[in-house]
Amino acid sequence: MIKRLFHSRVLQHFFKDPLAIIGVLILFVMLIGAIFAPLIAPQNPYDPRALSLQDSLQPPLWMPGGKAPFLLGTDDQGRDILSTILYGCRTSFTVGFSVVLLAGLIGVTIGLIAAFYGGVLDAVTMRVADTLFSFSTTLMAMLLLGIFKGGGIPLVILAIVIADWVRYARTMRGSTLGVKQEDYVEAARAIGSPNLRIMFRHILPNAIPPILVVAAVDFGAAVMLEATLSFLGVGVPINEPSLGMMIASGKNYIYAGMWWLTIFPGIALIAIVLGVNLLADWLREEINPRLKRG
Amino acid sequence: MGQGDPPHASIVMLTYIIRRIAQSLIVLLAVSMICFVIFQYLGDPVITLAGRYATQEQQEAVRESLGLNRPLYVQYATFLANAARGNFGLSYVSQVPVMKLIFERLPATAEMAATAMFIALLLGISLGVISSLRPRSFSSRAIMSGSLLGISLPTFLVGILLILVFAVVLRVLPPFGRGRVVHIVGTWSTGFLTLDGWRHLILPALTLGMYQLAVLIRLTRGGMLEALQEDYVRTAWAKGLSARLVIFKHALRNVLIPVVTVAGLQMGELIAFSIVTESIFQWPGTGKLLLNAIYETDNPVIVAYVMIAAVIILSINILVDILYGILNPRISYD
Amino acid sequence: MKKAVALILLGLLVVGLAGLVGVAKDTIIVGVGAPPRTMNPYGSDSDANLSVMSNIFDGLLQRDANGDLMPALATSWERIDALTWRFHLRKGVKFHNGNDFTWEDVKFSMERLKQPYPVSEFLAFGNLIKSVEMVNGDPWTIDIVTTVPTSYFDQNLHQIFIMDKESTENRSIGEIGENPIGTGAYKFVKWVKGSYLKLEANENYWGGAPSVKYAEFRPITEPSTRVAAISTGTVDILQDVPVELFNSIAKNPSLQVITRPARRSIWLGLGNKPGTPTSDVRVRKAMYMAINEQEIIDKVMFGHADLCSQIPDPPTVGYDASIKRLPYDPAQAKKLLAEAGYPDGFMITLTGPNDRYVRDEQIEQAIVTQLSKVGIKVTLDSKPKAVYFPEVDAHKLEFYLIGWFDGSYDFGRSFSKLLHSVDKDAGLGGLNGSGYSDPTLDKLFEASSGIINPQLRGQELQILNKVAMDEKIAIIPLHYQEDSYAIYKASGVNFTPRSDTWVVFKDMSIGK
Repeated sequence: MIKRLFHSRVLQHFFKDPLAIIGVLILFVMLIGAIFAPLIAPQNPYDPRALSLQDSLQPPLWMPGGKAPFLLGTDDQGRDILSTILYGCRTSFTVGFSVVLLAGLIGVTIGLIAAFYGGVLDAVTMRVADTLFSFSTTLMAMLLLGIFKGGGIPLVILAIVIADWVRYARTMRGSTLGVKQEDYVEAARAIGSPNLRIMFRHILPNAIPPILVVAAVDFGAAVMLEATLSFLGVGVPINEPSLGMMIASGKNYIYAGMWWLTIFPGIALIAIVLGVNLLADWLREEINPRLKRG
Repeated sequence: MGQGDPPHASIVMLTYIIRRIAQSLIVLLAVSMICFVIFQYLGDPVITLAGRYATQEQQEAVRESLGLNRPLYVQYATFLANAARGNFGLSYVSQVPVMKLIFERLPATAEMAATAMFIALLLGISLGVISSLRPRSFSSRAIMSGSLLGISLPTFLVGILLILVFAVVLRVLPPFGRGRVVHIVGTWSTGFLTLDGWRHLILPALTLGMYQLAVLIRLTRGGMLEALQEDYVRTAWAKGLSARLVIFKHALRNVLIPVVTVAGLQMGELIAFSIVTESIFQWPGTGKLLLNAIYETDNPVIVAYVMIAAVIILSINILVDILYGILNPRISYD
Repeated sequence: MKKAVALILLGLLVVGLAGLVGVAKDTIIVGVGAPPRTMNPYGSDSDANLSVMSNIFDGLLQRDANGDLMPALATSWERIDALTWRFHLRKGVKFHNGNDFTWEDVKFSMERLKQPYPVSEFLAFGNLIKSVEMVNGDPWTIDIVTTVPTSYFDQNLHQIFIMDKESTENRSIGEIGENPIGTGAYKFVKWVKGSYLKLEANENYWGGAPSVKYAEFRPITEPSTRVAAISTGTVDILQDVPVELFNSIAKNPSLQVITRPARRSIWLGLGNKPGTPTSDVRVRKAMYMAINEQEIIDKVMFGHADLCSQIPDPPTVGYDASIKRLPYDPAQAKKLLAEAGYPDGFMITLTGPNDRYVRDEQIEQAIVTQLSKVGIKVTLDSKPKAVYFPEVDAHKLEFYLIGWFDGSYDFGRSFSKLLHSVDKDAGLGGLNGSGYSDPTLDKLFEASSGIINPQLRGQELQILNKVAMDEKIAIIPLHYQEDSYAIYKASGVNFTPRSDTWVVFKDMSIGK
């Protein structure tokens, strides 16, 4: 079913939507950069042996005083900005994918089970979900990381997942309730198909498109949240900067005219989130064709 | 469906509200328990309090005077009893009642958040409507691109850039602080009544409201586009009523339902991002208090903050539910 | 609706463009780096707090801008014998609430220092005090007797502020922590935590009414916000100009920048527990020689620091000019490591604060980079001071960055806190972050503390200092921070920075 959907209509629509193409292109480039960072990057910014204070605060190559190989300049520890952005994107994508995968898995499972069996189980899980949802992922992650200081990326991921599974659970529950009463599900039940089989064969495929939209939005949100947490100093360790940390430690230099420490990682961060959001917009409209883009 | 004659509906609504309040109390209890348990396993306040050079005996004396040597359940019961009366004890760091600390700072945060929300609602809904009327026009595209950028820009970057542009380069607005405030009543001092207060409020409120603004534009536009295609709106158009009436009376009313819901649900986000905004603008509100408390492991402050935030969020959720019912009389309250 | 939007936009514009209205200036606003924690004068021994307190309270003694000890609530003082100090108290002084200052207040304050609760960060000093008594029934002459000979006793009294017995006993802890009542040149007006602290001149001050009517402390922690604040004249004086932005501020024609060599040394503590690599003095030397401090000063401190070779600064008793830094020599460092049996280096954790000293976090990262070049793999654990200092107090760190500035100008006191073997009950080694312990040094210290003659004692402390630095490499010294201030010229504020970095408003004035 998914195969058919994607082969026929979706891909054609995709190629007609310039914004979606731009989004995917941006993401693709950044993802390749992140994956192959150790090969592409002129420097490993997380290895102190590769750094030298003598190289600190060099402007980008095209500016007077710029020095090879530091294309986008260096930070106050002599880290190559381009390399650090590439490595920082690794962190961003790691957090984004881990959160989507973990929260998605947990949320979809809980949502599916709750809606399928209903009753008290459903009522209780949805109350918990509502409560968690209203407390906001950002607030919860901030408190969690503030309390358990210095856990690094795994803790950042965990903190986001704890609140984020709810998004998936609610969506999954909605679509499950929608299809539960459909004829073909009723029919499958009538002929005595096992519950698991019904869930996987009949309910899950139908719920996938809305979940994809949630996942795309969530990916962007998780990337941004990691940046915010690192900006506040409760995220990644200082000597392995991610994009948010780069912006935080570079922001003071803006006033000294050294804008490249903040602006480049800022652009990279916005690019990832923007790319994801463009993709999410397209997906959303693809799934809900009533919303024609202007 | 909770339809029927008016008195019946209001009773349904009342029982619903009571049930929601009861549920909220259970949630609060759970939150308090989690807070309490977590903080039992965190840094020892005695060392902070007794000073770096206290001997073992002196530390024990402090432990005793704070009641930290009693069994856990006794401590929790005391905590609950006190919390119910709004007494969260003294801050470990400044030795001042925690509630006083928070209430001193609540007005600053509330005024910033309210202004941010006001900007977001006003601009969000109007820009959303504008962009839905002529979806293909240049201005609509500009609004939509702007809103896309708005949800892709991290709050902290927005704040830094606004300070850079308006305070450092153009020098038209102050870079930080709350400005001149006027004391009204109790611990409430307001920045709303002075020009200086407003000048200080603009940048932080914009920073805080930016994301919400972008979200609301998109939401309103989506809802409007959908609503404008509904049969009843098309019929209204056909009947020749003035365009404005059609849009506002029919379409917008329907659009407001998700907007109100989301705006309510965003309350948690608003509180969270007020922490970020306050740290950038040195805004003397609760968010900055919380950050400092986190850095200094000032547990009573953190606990009280979380509890108060929970109360605010839960009450707003209940309010939103009620509002939802008013906007959409067809909804059921089961 | 369009109209409403337009109106609001217009309103915003008007508000935004409205400039400041000129009024006769009677207030000085100082932007400081760290907010005061409490208004309880014993609640914090940080300079950020003491700086504020020194305006509201007086000690028995005070220091002038150069750091010289001067009379305050005591008009004169002398050391009677090894344990006894005699003070002649100032008559006719009143607290801000109208109460008279008496010897009872001194006795009460000294006893309060010893109480761990509510909060005294001067416990160790308080525990040195045995008694405070009138001499021959004269309430204006008192003797303070210490438990052990304490040569620097008077040197510390400028930061021990005298509280009002009556109002302190009759108010709650919360009240005392919020509404300070002292005898100082300024009266407390209002404290909006995290925002500002406002003070008003005490017209009846015993030293004469101060010339500036109102004084405000504004804590601003963000470096970029600090610069914005001084550039726009939101504050009149900015303490601690962020070094990374120093040049852009110095270039600003509306600002004047003042610097002075600071008294605070920044250095690395290093444990010597048996069995650890750093218990071998060759390893300690190697680490010392692998650190390129000049590079740190140039690149991390932007030139705003001076090389240092020991913990104390020149005016401190025990400072020894003959102590020289080990040269930067990574090749020699590698050789020493190989000799000590670590040809491939070893692993160690560097712990340090990230919100305490100028560029602390950046210095720590630079150390990690530099030590990696000789094969030492350093894990960095950089954290807020509120978390870091309790760890220093627990004496379990391997390798840590810390700064020291001794308000009492005495290396003996510094050594007893920083490097003496930990002995909690004797109040020794309280800030010895690694539990460093060397019997030779301890003995040298004990020998010095019995000496009453300041000259002889100074020489003894110099020996202690030299042995610690040259022979034992007890610590790795980095640099002395530079104090810096920026002044908004149009404010017309006359201000001279003090050696102790305190912001003392009674020394300031506005206009010619």
